[in-house]
Amino acid sequence: MSNADNEADATDRQLLRRMAEGDRAALSVMYRAYHGRLCRFLARLTRRADVVEEAINDCFWIAWQKASTFQGDSRVSTWIMGIAYRCGLKALRQHGSEPVDEDTLPEDRTPSHDPDDDRIMRDWLGKGLERLSADQRVVVELVYGIGHTLEDVATIMQCPVGTVKARLFHARVKLRNVLPGLAGEHSIRRENAP
Amino acid sequence: MTFQKDVGRDCTRAWEAMPWVLRGDASVAQDDWLKMHLAGCAACREEFAQQERLREALALPPDLDVDAEAGLARLLARIDASEAAPPVTRRRASSSWLVRGLMAAVIVQAVGIGVLGVKLRGEAQPPAAYRTLSQDAAPVAAGSLRVVPQATMKVADWNALLHTFHLRVTGGPNDVGAYTLAPLDGQAPVTAQTLQRLRATPGIRFAEPVSGAP
Repeated sequence: MSNADNEADATDRQLLRRMAEGDRAALSVMYRAYHGRLCRFLARLTRRADVVEEAINDCFWIAWQKASTFQGDSRVSTWIMGIAYRCGLKALRQHGSEPVDEDTLPEDRTPSHDPDDDRIMRDWLGKGLERLSADQRVVVELVYGIGHTLEDVATIMQCPVGTVKARLFHARVKLRNVLPGLAGEHSIRRENAP
Repeated sequence: MTFQKDVGRDCTRAWEAMPWVLRGDASVAQDDWLKMHLAGCAACREEFAQQERLREALALPPDLDVDAEAGLARLLARIDASEAAPPVTRRRASSSWLVRGLMAAVIVQAVGIGVLGVKLRGEAQPPAAYRTLSQDAAPVAAGSLRVVPQATMKVADWNALLHTFHLRVTGGPNDVGAYTLAPLDGQAPVTAQTLQRLRATPGIRFAEPVSGAP
């Protein structure tokens, strides 16, 4: 864990302590700080834009109520992502997993220096992720997108590290075989990873 | 993608190291080793390039229009609502089973009392003449006596006397220590002779027929 991670976790712990005492300002700070990554994480997991806010608020509702029970065994971010993961699974059970319709999203939702580049990149990624299971998408997002360690991911998903490794491996194999290169490569490669 | 047999193990190692090197979490030695391997392995270079694209794509900001401030406002309103009514809500929730249980118990009791009432009425028995021995208006059986034993008389002697004369206590003692005695069921009324014997019994201070008794 880097120094930046340690500092971020120290701040999170302080905020969580204040939340345990009923400090809503601390809750607001925490909510805003995590909103972006939870948004992306839950969108990847559920693939439903319409349930993302509900799942985020369910996550922070639980975090607000359980703040005093945080044991400190993991980073606060790991704890929160674990709650979000379970809220996302609950949303999936309740609403199903209809894919997000990218075409319905307004163009101004993409805060990018070059919207076209981002669109191409998102389309490329979307083609790959739609071939993965929910758990494989979660592992890919947590490792590559958010930057959690395998141990963190195991804590979040409440499974052994070996299971996380297997999910990551299979996700990478699938992505490698279904994703063409961005430079126009369209060949489908054989599934013979190391 | 295929791997030559002699480099297969290195490619596996490279494959596992890629995510952490990309994230900057790998050690310097691991980082250096991977760079060296990539320099000589086209397949892993291609895979690493794809991993970089994957990471870059996953790092894009969310393309969902989810307003953080609106969501936060809704969360705070939810907390407000729960805190405004929590004791009531929680008490209602926790006590609802208790209330339902008590209501069920009351209903069962009411039904039971009703059934008992109907049953008692159906039996149509004359009401029992229940009374206590200290009631002034207690009826006096025919042939009853007023007897005053001495205060020192033992209970055993008193019982023996009752047995001998076929009497039973139907009242008393009153304020002066007098008992009302009546012949046992099926026994003849006390005669003057018996009364005389009773008076002569040690420990009996007074024995007289009840006034008005036959």
